[in-house]
Formats: sequence, C-alpha cells, structure tokens
Amino acid sequence: MKNGLRELRAKKGWSQAELADRLEVSRQSVNAIETGKYDPSLPLAFRLARLFGKRIEEMFEED
Amino acid sequence: MSICANNNRATKGYRLRLAATMATYLICLATTVRILGRHHPEGWVAYGLALLPALPVVGAIGVIGIYLTEEKDEYQRTVIVQSMLWALGLTMATLTVWGFLELFAGVAHFQTYLAFPLFWVMAAVVSPFVRMRYR
Repeated sequence: MKNGLRELRAKKGWSQAELADRLEVSRQSVNAIETGKYDPSLPLAFRLARLFGKRIEEMFEED
Repeated sequence: MSICANNNRATKGYRLRLAATMATYLICLATTVRILGRHHPEGWVAYGLALLPALPVVGAIGVIGIYLTEEKDEYQRTVIVQSMLWALGLTMATLTVWGFLELFAGVAHFQTYLAFPLFWVMAAVVSPFVRMRYR
C-alpha cells in the first residue's frame, strides 16, 4: 500500500527514531512502513492515523 | 542464537532466558557425559541421563515462543517469524536430502541432535535476506 507517512513525518519535523518512540515500535518498522514494503496491522494503522490527526483512508491507499 | 535486531524489553528477556537455558544445557551435558563415562549406567538411568541435555534445548524452543508473545513490535515479529519459517524449511529440506544420501549413497550419519543448531545456522543466514526485503 502507498502512504504519505514520510511527508507527514517531515511536516512534524520528526526523525524516524522519534516517530518510532511515539509509536512504541522500532525505527526499522517506521522505515519499512514509509518505503511501502511493510503494511502495518489495523491497530498500528489506527495509532499512526491518530498520531497525525488523520483518518486511515487519508494515510493509506491501495497500490 | 539471536536473530533479534532491536534491544527492547522482549529482546532483553529473550536473551536472559536463552542464556539461562544454554547455561543449564552445558551443565546437563557435562553431567551426562561425566556420569555415563564413569559409571556406564544402563536402562532407565541411561535414558534419563540422555534426556537431561535435551530438556534445556526443548526449553530454548519455549523461550522463542515466549519472545514472540512478548514482542510488541509487529514488524520485528513478522521478520523473525518469516526468518524462522525459512530456516525451518531449509533445515527440513537439508535433513531430508541428507537422509536419502545416507540411505542410498552411504554418506556419513547425521546426528539428529544437531538439527537444532543447524536450524539456528539457517536462521542466521536467512535473516539478513528477510530484512533486506523490507528496506
């Protein structure tokens, strides 16, 4: 799935490590999601959406 | 015997438990070798002594199971489970091929207690490739 996580993170001025801390996951997880290589589970997608104040469908879209 | 890349609470617990099972394994192995070598027991005592070093190894499999339930990072869990599935498949394939070579071509006997270390060697080999898929 495509996502605009990298842009959203950049807008907040967070590093991958900072975002990882906020999500309580590893930095590798954030990187894998940003590159679109790993699709997060629904609970993690909800956590991401809440963190950025967006709806899930605004953050992720099908390839 | 660690394919965990992060250093969170689950990983620390895993390393601690694994170190404990491996220390127990070494003690059990030394005890078995010593008693069998000196006293040559037979029957149930020999069976019991032979099983002694196997138990911590079986425990190590349980330690992996505990780690997978404790690991909160779903991506890390995915990478580790995929690495282990690849390692399991490769280990089974290797042992099957070796078994037929033993049966029909007379190659040296493979000691089955080495299956567990072989699995970990396979896991260590495939783990970087699995991680590479997500970069």
